[in-house]
Amino acid sequence: MSTTARIPTCPTRSVADPASERTLRTLVLGLGNPLLTDDSVGLRVVDRLRSALDGWPGLELAEDYWGGLRLMERLVGYDRAIIIDAQRSGAPAGTVSILSANAPPTRHGDSAHDVDLWTALEFGRQAGAAVPTASSIRIVAIEAADVDTFCEKCTPAVAASIPRAAEAVQSLLIEWR
Amino acid sequence: MTTQRISIDPITRLEGHGKIDIFLTPKGDVAETYLQIPELRGFERFCVGRLAEDMPNLTSRICGVCPEAHHIAGTKALDALFHVDPPPTAKKLREMFYCIFYATDHTTHFYALGGPDFIMGPDAPPEQRNILGVIQKVGMEIAGRVLKMRRDGHNLIEMIGGRKVHPNWGLPGGVSRGITEEQRKEIESLGRDAIEFAKFSLQLFNQIVLGNREYVQLITSEAYTQRTYNMGTVDANNRVNFYDGLIRVVGPDGREHAKYRAKDYRDYIAEHVEPWTYLKFPFLKKVGWKGFVDGEDSGLYKATPLSRLNAADGMATPLAQKEYERMYETLGGKPVHHTLATHWARLIELLYATERWVELATDPEITGKEYRVLPTATPDEGVGCVEAPRGTLTHHYWTDERGVLTRVNLIVGTTNNYAPINLSIKQAARSLIRKGTTVTEGLLNKIEMAFRAYDPCFGCATHYLPGQMPLTVVLRAPDGRVLQTISRDGGHAR
Repeated sequence: MSTTARIPTCPTRSVADPASERTLRTLVLGLGNPLLTDDSVGLRVVDRLRSALDGWPGLELAEDYWGGLRLMERLVGYDRAIIIDAQRSGAPAGTVSILSANAPPTRHGDSAHDVDLWTALEFGRQAGAAVPTASSIRIVAIEAADVDTFCEKCTPAVAASIPRAAEAVQSLLIEWR
Repeated sequence: MTTQRISIDPITRLEGHGKIDIFLTPKGDVAETYLQIPELRGFERFCVGRLAEDMPNLTSRICGVCPEAHHIAGTKALDALFHVDPPPTAKKLREMFYCIFYATDHTTHFYALGGPDFIMGPDAPPEQRNILGVIQKVGMEIAGRVLKMRRDGHNLIEMIGGRKVHPNWGLPGGVSRGITEEQRKEIESLGRDAIEFAKFSLQLFNQIVLGNREYVQLITSEAYTQRTYNMGTVDANNRVNFYDGLIRVVGPDGREHAKYRAKDYRDYIAEHVEPWTYLKFPFLKKVGWKGFVDGEDSGLYKATPLSRLNAADGMATPLAQKEYERMYETLGGKPVHHTLATHWARLIELLYATERWVELATDPEITGKEYRVLPTATPDEGVGCVEAPRGTLTHHYWTDERGVLTRVNLIVGTTNNYAPINLSIKQAARSLIRKGTTVTEGLLNKIEMAFRAYDPCFGCATHYLPGQMPLTVVLRAPDGRVLQTISRDGGHAR
């Protein structure tokens, strides 16, 4: 689905787990290759969010480049996660979608050298790793136009979608407050 | 004239949008197979005009699965480019870092990618033929051990290499920082755990794979056997080395064909072009390109874990040497040409990597403070080479006198193996698909096993980085009608 979320302000209270009264840990993780045109869009969204989300309780922003087991391991210790990644689904370039953890794969959600994200999360759980539940993971996917060319800039349509993707992340965070 | 086409598009569990087309004869036998890989555009153009020092960091972003291999190969290319010889501590730190990466990478391949075919069986339903099936069959304990091995590896790579995501540590003439005694102790301790894990993994392979007569028959069957040349890096005693040495090539009969310095690679390797694929096919120049055929007269060579063992006279560490000897004794002597034995060789390399990791962690020079020599010579041209997990990796840079890149050439592990992978697919397909054969998912998986053993990385080969995609196989009649469609989605219901 396309999203047009409003930009929230920084929350004034902690996001607390009723059971333990502790602040829930949330990871906002951009995935991508900074050198591969639109493949970098997840990283650019995280970059845009850094100042807007500064001071958000329990929140960490980070970047990575790979899915599957590595992505699962990256999520260990967090209660919730928002993953931002490029996608090639056939939608118009720049389309922003909110996906669940078991949706069709985005560019870097799965690893072709080990397993898909769903299997990785299940493997982590069975191994006793403290990974978020599937319902506590959202993927903000941005439709890419070019992921085949070495270039440090996104295509115009994808570059224009970065503010909307950032707003979508912020809306999700507000929903979780 | 071919009458039917089977497409495997894209290949499961493989990096890149690889696509296999299997063309059938009118009788229903396999006429030809093609493994095609899309092109990634503009890498050399992207590099030219940049400072050469950026290359270890730039190239580590080419591929998501082996950034450490590109980082170290690129760093060695800078040594050559700037005509500087790093001090012993730097070389040992680099090699230790690289062995830790190797152990982590080989672990992942066996338990998540290659192992499920054997542990669960090649005909097991795809939703069971994955790492979840492995832990259900082998036991939950293994899940924790695999995760610990990966976690320890990643943490140490970050500790030594400076970053969790991509290392930024290698410099011409050495590395940016050394390690403290406290860090050394931790590296040694985790390395000893890793040796035990590698021994356990080989024990598991012995029990589950070698203890099953059907699997041994599968491994040694003609469907998975190609008698090509083999390539690998060896030390001064002709033992396997991942970080440095001479490139050695042995013939199908095991005799030495060539032994050369990495910088001379163009005297030995040429590249063949086919009209149906963007990727080039390296071959041995002095033997020549004879097509997708094996044998002494064909210049095809493999650069895989099994090739490295075939190209060497042994392993440089004691436990790995014992396993090396046992493998060749079991499979009838050197060289071994059974593609599926690559999984066994990979585990022997895992054991070697962990032993070498501890050897280096206990070397008195490893905590030395002289870990860089500042380059003073004018840069011009440099070649750096390492054994990447998926084959010999060569970086070649040319610069002007300021160190600005004017030309770049890379030959990555999977590229070396592109022709043998095609040959392996064809051979497996011809053995498994004949007139009247019902094409099942299990049968297609057996064809995939022929190239999964290589753990090919098309992301590296084409400098491409996609995610995993589902598999769809379409069997078509001469008029294009779909006769049979088989699809799977990577092992779970999305």
